[in-house]
Amino acid sequence: MAINAQIALTVFMGVLLIAVIAWLTRIEDWRSYSASAGGVVSQGERSEYIEQEKPAGIVRWLTTVDHKDIGILYGAYGLFAFAVGGLMVAAMRIELATPNTTFIEPAVYNSLLTSHGITMLFLFGTPIIAAFANYLVPLIIGADDMAFPRINAIAFWLLPPSAIMIWAGFFAQPLGLGFGPAQTAWTMYTPLSAGVGNDPAGGAGIDLMLLGLHLSGVAATMGAINFIATIFTQRDENVSWANLDIFSWTILTQSGLILFAFPLLGSALLMLLADRNFGTTFFLTDGGNMLWQHLFWFFGHPEVYILVLPMMGIVSYVLPRFAGRKLFGFKFVVYSTLAIGVLSFGVWAHHMFATGMDPRLRASFMAVSLAIAIPSAVKTFNWITTLWNGRLRLTTPMLFCIGFVSNFIIGGVTGVFLASIPVDLVLHDTYYVVGHFHYIVMGAIAFAGFAGIYYWFPLVTRRMYQATLGKAHFALSFIGTNITFFAMILLGYGGMPRRYATYLPQFFTLNAIATVGAMILLVGQIIFVWNLVTSWLGGKRIESGDPWNLKEDGVHTVEWQWLDRRIETALTDGGDEEPIADGGEVRTDGGTESDDN
Amino acid sequence: MDESPGLSDQYRKASPWPVFVALGLPLSEIGLVFDLFPIAVGGLLLFCGSIVGLLLESEYASTVWKPLVVMSGLLGVFGGLLIFADGTTDVTLLTRAYATFAAAIVMALGVVAGKLFVPKRGIPT
Repeated sequence: MAINAQIALTVFMGVLLIAVIAWLTRIEDWRSYSASAGGVVSQGERSEYIEQEKPAGIVRWLTTVDHKDIGILYGAYGLFAFAVGGLMVAAMRIELATPNTTFIEPAVYNSLLTSHGITMLFLFGTPIIAAFANYLVPLIIGADDMAFPRINAIAFWLLPPSAIMIWAGFFAQPLGLGFGPAQTAWTMYTPLSAGVGNDPAGGAGIDLMLLGLHLSGVAATMGAINFIATIFTQRDENVSWANLDIFSWTILTQSGLILFAFPLLGSALLMLLADRNFGTTFFLTDGGNMLWQHLFWFFGHPEVYILVLPMMGIVSYVLPRFAGRKLFGFKFVVYSTLAIGVLSFGVWAHHMFATGMDPRLRASFMAVSLAIAIPSAVKTFNWITTLWNGRLRLTTPMLFCIGFVSNFIIGGVTGVFLASIPVDLVLHDTYYVVGHFHYIVMGAIAFAGFAGIYYWFPLVTRRMYQATLGKAHFALSFIGTNITFFAMILLGYGGMPRRYATYLPQFFTLNAIATVGAMILLVGQIIFVWNLVTSWLGGKRIESGDPWNLKEDGVHTVEWQWLDRRIETALTDGGDEEPIADGGEVRTDGGTESDDN
Repeated sequence: MDESPGLSDQYRKASPWPVFVALGLPLSEIGLVFDLFPIAVGGLLLFCGSIVGLLLESEYASTVWKPLVVMSGLLGVFGGLLIFADGTTDVTLLTRAYATFAAAIVMALGVVAGKLFVPKRGIPT
């Protein structure tokens, strides 16, 4: 490297480190470590900073280790990533409105395709679940905070750098840094991703993406360890395994899956990185491509359940609240969660039926893949039975829950067909697969996320969202999802291959319909963001800890009781002052009497 | 009225270190993978320093010296492994090894200086 660049980097790092130290000395009370500043300081009066608990303004958000604050940070981050991933796919769908290249070049299309998948799975899906889990699990199980609050903060703060690294290629190209974004698809199949030849699929963009993914995996693993420790050791004495709520059960199972799946992804990514940069040949010799696929999908399939199980937990938690009854067959929903968790590690090779792997192995994976439909169906029937003869209230979260069940059935049944080897060999790598898994990831996972966001919006912000906009969001999302992804299923039956920027004219009509559906989805999500932002800033304040009238049905759960207490505390302490939104609005001081639980 | 607001009376709800741990790790990774010596050294220092800060703050350690020695030792071993691996591949790993050594040496020097010049102190238990 040129000597000037080295000097520039050295200066940059020096300035950065000095800035960090300067900032630390400003906000960190060094006396707390030093007896010399004022004799021996006893615990509890180590510094004013601790007594105030939370510093003001932006520093509060940079330094917080409070599970609720970190939950909000995760949520904001996840929604930002959702917007980025959504805009990426909007550009792709506009390109696919016509058979030929008109709007974006194929290379750009490939990059967007790669980043859309990775963004939605790793930067939106996992973090948005962590948002719910961080905010709610400690409240619901009666813990004071997460078991390791600082690890919790580290896990969150690893995500912004990982997003920057994953998207780096998009910035690097215009800046003239000599590399572009990765074009490997989210599966990063070798030899394409291994940099063979002149590395046409992204160069250093791939390396940065691998590092970013690795970081996000480290973050997810840290979070998972934290949740397992919290649920095992921090439960209130009233909370036993027998009466642990369904959401915490799904988070516990998901954390177990993460614990086994993500470190494996991390190892595989490092091996690929070593192949690309350090002269190893893990994936470059005979069988290397199969090895990558096995390692990737051993992580990749559990990843689907890592994303869907907590979302199923949210539906199992929220749906009964608006059906006026308890979840039907609670125990069996828990058992099916655990069963899915275990079985999810035995199905990975159904992604590889077309690779030419041993047919006997293939058959065993087909059997397990078909079997996993059983616990999934148990859950579905339990949700339907919960609704049966219930006193249904079609609030926005309830609509999204019902939409979830509906879309999950279509996504699930199309998946059962794919689990069958002969059907898969016909439909493999067609738009049928894309339609199937988007029914799950958009139609189910995102829908449950919306249900959770609307349901707990008053808990976090102490304000109500605008109900009409919420219902418009639901209607547009539901119609948009079904138009877009059903068209894709039909395209797949017609034989249209996935991942291409152009297609044959015979597929035009259905592609145009899919694009129209995607635009409907886009409008719905714009309404969603508008609703969230304006309601958070100026929505109607809630007056009690029971905005959903849950007390009527005797299902006023613990997090709402907590809100009740907080509102009461705020009123007692502050008279008729505005209650403090939890990190929501313009509060310069996050730490007050009422902000303490 | 919430009579027992939880641990937070004593609980410290803010810590400056996590954000720097999370900044130091990617910087050191980028520095080591792309062979950018200053980024690797700075990133490792930031990463290890922040971990030491965390250990001190959470009272797993009472002074910075021991954790710094351990970090320095671990980086030294890692650098040694890189030198060992350098002989087995066409890609040169030497500057990466030197970067880890440099970070280790800076920390070790910090410990020596600290031991010599900083008066004994610690967080009372």
